[in-house]
Formats: sequence, C-alpha cells, structure tokens
Amino acid sequence: MTRLPGYLGMDVAAMTTNDWLGVFFTLGAFIGMVVIYFIVFRPANKDAFESQRGMALDDEDHINAGEKND
Amino acid sequence: MDAAQATPIKYDMDVVRWFSIAAVIYLVVGTLIGVWIAAELAWPALNFIPEIAFGRLRPLHTNAVIFAFGGCTLMATGFYMVQRTGATRLWSNGLAWFTFWGWNLVIVLAVITLPLGITQGKEYAELAWPVDILIAVVWLSFGLNHIMTVAIRKTSHIYVSNWFTMSMIVMITYLHVVNSLAIPVSLATSYSIFSGVQDAMIQWWWGHNAVGFYLTAGFLGIMYYFVPKQVGRPVFSYRLSVLHFWALTFGYVWLGAHHLQYTALPDWTGSLGAAVSLAMIIPSWGGAINGMMTLSGAWDRLRTDYILRFLVVALAFYAMSTFEGPVMSIKTVNALSHYTDWGIGHVHSGALGWVAMVAIGALYHMVKKLWNTEMYSDNLINVHFWLSTIGTVVYVVAMWVSGIMQGLMWRDYDEYGALTYTFVESVSAMHPYYAMRTIGGLIFHLGTLVMLYNVVMTVRQASAARSTAAVPAQV
Repeated sequence: MTRLPGYLGMDVAAMTTNDWLGVFFTLGAFIGMVVIYFIVFRPANKDAFESQRGMALDDEDHINAGEKND
Repeated sequence: MDAAQATPIKYDMDVVRWFSIAAVIYLVVGTLIGVWIAAELAWPALNFIPEIAFGRLRPLHTNAVIFAFGGCTLMATGFYMVQRTGATRLWSNGLAWFTFWGWNLVIVLAVITLPLGITQGKEYAELAWPVDILIAVVWLSFGLNHIMTVAIRKTSHIYVSNWFTMSMIVMITYLHVVNSLAIPVSLATSYSIFSGVQDAMIQWWWGHNAVGFYLTAGFLGIMYYFVPKQVGRPVFSYRLSVLHFWALTFGYVWLGAHHLQYTALPDWTGSLGAAVSLAMIIPSWGGAINGMMTLSGAWDRLRTDYILRFLVVALAFYAMSTFEGPVMSIKTVNALSHYTDWGIGHVHSGALGWVAMVAIGALYHMVKKLWNTEMYSDNLINVHFWLSTIGTVVYVVAMWVSGIMQGLMWRDYDEYGALTYTFVESVSAMHPYYAMRTIGGLIFHLGTLVMLYNVVMTVRQASAARSTAAVPAQV
C-alpha cells in the first residue's frame, strides 16, 4: 500500500508534450469506451441496434428480385 | 433494401472473382514455402544455396500467406460485402482493377527481392522502400474505393462488417506509413528513421497491429458477414457486434509492447501492454460467442454443411488464440515463453486455425455465389476440412511442446548455479518436434491443394454450364 502513491502519482511539472498527448489519448479512449457501452446497453437503443441483425441476409432479397449481376 | 429492390443492380464482381482465385493460389504457394522452411529447420542440409535458405524464405513465407493470401482474401471479401450490404456497385471498377494488378505486382516484387536477400530487416515489413511506397499507393486505392462505395450505398445503415474493414484500412495505412519511414541510400537499401528502443517499439506497434487490424479486424468483418450467410440466420446480437468493434478498435493499438517484455523498453510499457492484452479477452470472447451463438437452433447443420464447419472451427481457434495471447503477455508466463517455439505455436493457432479457416469458409461460400453453381465436390470440402483441422492441431501441439521444453531447458540450472543445458543441446532436443511440425504443415498444405482442385473444377463446371445454358451468375 505504501507504494500506491508512487504508482498513481503524477509529476505534472515534469511532463513533456508526449506525456500530455499520452494522457489525452488514454482518457479519450476511456471516455469513448464508456460512451459506447452506454449507447449500446441503453434499453431504449436495443431495438434500433437489433433491427440490423439480419442485414447480411437481407441482401438476398434484391438478388432474388430478379437482378442481373453479371 | 427498398431502393435496391426497386432498381436492379449490376455488381462489379469480376474483380472479386480474380481476387478469390488469386487468394486460393497464394494459399497453396504460401503454405508450400512454409512446409519447405519447416523442413529446413528440421533438416538443415536443405539450406543448400543462399537464395532458398531459411533466413530468406521465411519472410517470403510470411509475406505470401499474410499479404498475398490474406490480402487477396480481404480485398475479395471487402469488395463483395460492401457492394451487397450497400446494394450498390463499386465506386470505381477501374480503381478496383488497379488495386488487383498493383497488389499482385507487390507480390511479384516480394518473390524477386526477398530470396535475393533484399530486406529492411523489420519483421512483417521486410520489403524494400520502393515496394513500401507501392504498397501504400495500392492499399490507399483499395481504401478509397471501399470507403467511397460505403458513401454511395443505397442502404441507410452501414453493416458491421464494413466497419471492421474500414477500421483495418485506416489503421493499416497509419501503421504501414509510420513503421516504413526510412532514409533511402540506394534502390534496395534504407535506414529506419527510428533508432534503438524507439525502433523496437515502433516495429512491434506495427507488428502486433498487423495481427490486430489486418488479421483480426479484417477477418472479423468476414466472420460477421459469412457466418450469418452460411447458416441462414441473423447474427446473434448486433449490439454485441458493435461493442466488439469499438472495444477492438480502441484497445488493440496498445498491445505491441507486450512483445518486448524484459528488454530495454521502460518496464511500465510492457505492463500496460499486458494489462490491455488481458482486457481484450472480453471483447474477443464476446465476438467469438456472438459468432457461435448465431448457430443457435441450427447446430445440426454442422453435420452436413462442411463450409460452416470451417467457419465454426475458425471461431473456436479465434477464442483459443485470443486467450492464449494475453496469457503469454503476462510477465511471469512471458519469462518462459518469449523467444521460444511457443510463440510460433500461438501464431499458427491464430493464422491456420482462425485466419485461414475463416477465409477458406468465406472463399468457398463466395465461389458458389460468384459462379452461381454448387461446388464440384462437397466431399472434397469435407476432406479439406479434416486435413486443415488435423494439420493445424499437429503443428500447434508440436510447437507448444517444443516451446515449453525450450523455455524450461534454457532456464534450468544446477546446484552450483551453472546452466544445465547448452543452447546446442536445446536445439538438438527440438528435432522430433520440428519434424512433427513439418508433417502438420504438410497435412495443412495438402488440404489447400484439394481446395485449389475443387475450386478450379467448380469454375470449369460453371463455365461449361453457362456456355450451354447461358445462365447468369447470381452474386
């Protein structure tokens, strides 16, 4: 436990531009994932997402409708 | 699909046919070179001239299977899926042909330069700088055409397979360009602009993401389209597929440092690589389960549908490899596994079991659709399936045993603290497993010959039928 501050500590004054870019992208990815989880698992969005389940199969419909593909 | 149903569409599928045939041929050639270099390791006398020595043919093998076979498969399926799910033809058929001939020119140049020893010495990025530029141009032509075809689609939604393909296109462009930055000193020689530990970091940032985006994201796009198609059922959970996509895209780019544990790289970068590798088990297994559960209620199809068997066994290997990889990235395990044949076993579990099997399943499915015919022989597909599965298992088991044995021999020491075994003794102990690996690879390679024969006969059968009955192809 005594080493925990060492792991979590941040010497802001010593941080280079690369360090700040790393912080920016790390936080960006983290926040982005939280947003994605929220959107995907929000019950109100369930039907909108799942309505696309059969899209790979739907493309047979217009093939079978008599299209000429060659 | 409404717009599509109202207006007949003529897809651009000739280029897809050519890419598909090329992929099958390159699979045969790439695995043949693999068998040969495996034999060279088991019986070193086979390295009788420099041009065919292991050091020169190994990069030719990896380039042939990853970029020739894998690339042609990704481009064939990419152009196929984007047209069908978007209910539109390609943005530019001419540009697609440029991609086809340009990609094949890259492969020809690889075949000439690598055996001559012309290499940058960067794993999976060996080709000389002029070829690197050609790769970038051709890859961008594929990317531009794919993305513009998505842009002109007739459907409102962009299917998840196309998201995976576009993610691969964007990330591979970025990775290839940055990793290939070099100062040329002659037509065949250049020096990386990165040096020392930065060069190693950039190399494995590229190396692991070539696996992550080219061999995983691209082939997951194939899985999400061809598994539902082959089984005739919608994907189990579309929400899970969306989560799978974003988690993979956000997460994969962090993993490269796990290839450099116990090196000059800062310790924390290896820890970060390992931590994110472990976190990636969740989306990877979510995706594998999503693919497998798509078969819910239709598992009996596996008894008779040999193409589906390829796709499902590929998912099993995908799940296994995406568990094994993170475990190997943990420092404690890595201390044993790194630099050993365990790594080769892991790579081939993914390459043969996942990438090749899902690609083979997709190619069989497409051949039937593209030539509007049944396969010449379903029994030969079954034979191919068992040769592929048995060959992969024999190969991977040989490398697991060999690798763990190597690791244990290298670290063993006696009561005085001296190493128990010399390096040469460990090499000698590997011989039976190297022979076993060659046999496993040969079995897999025989399967690819069966596939080539079956595909050629199918195309000939379809051509003969069309010349007599003038039946239009249905794609």
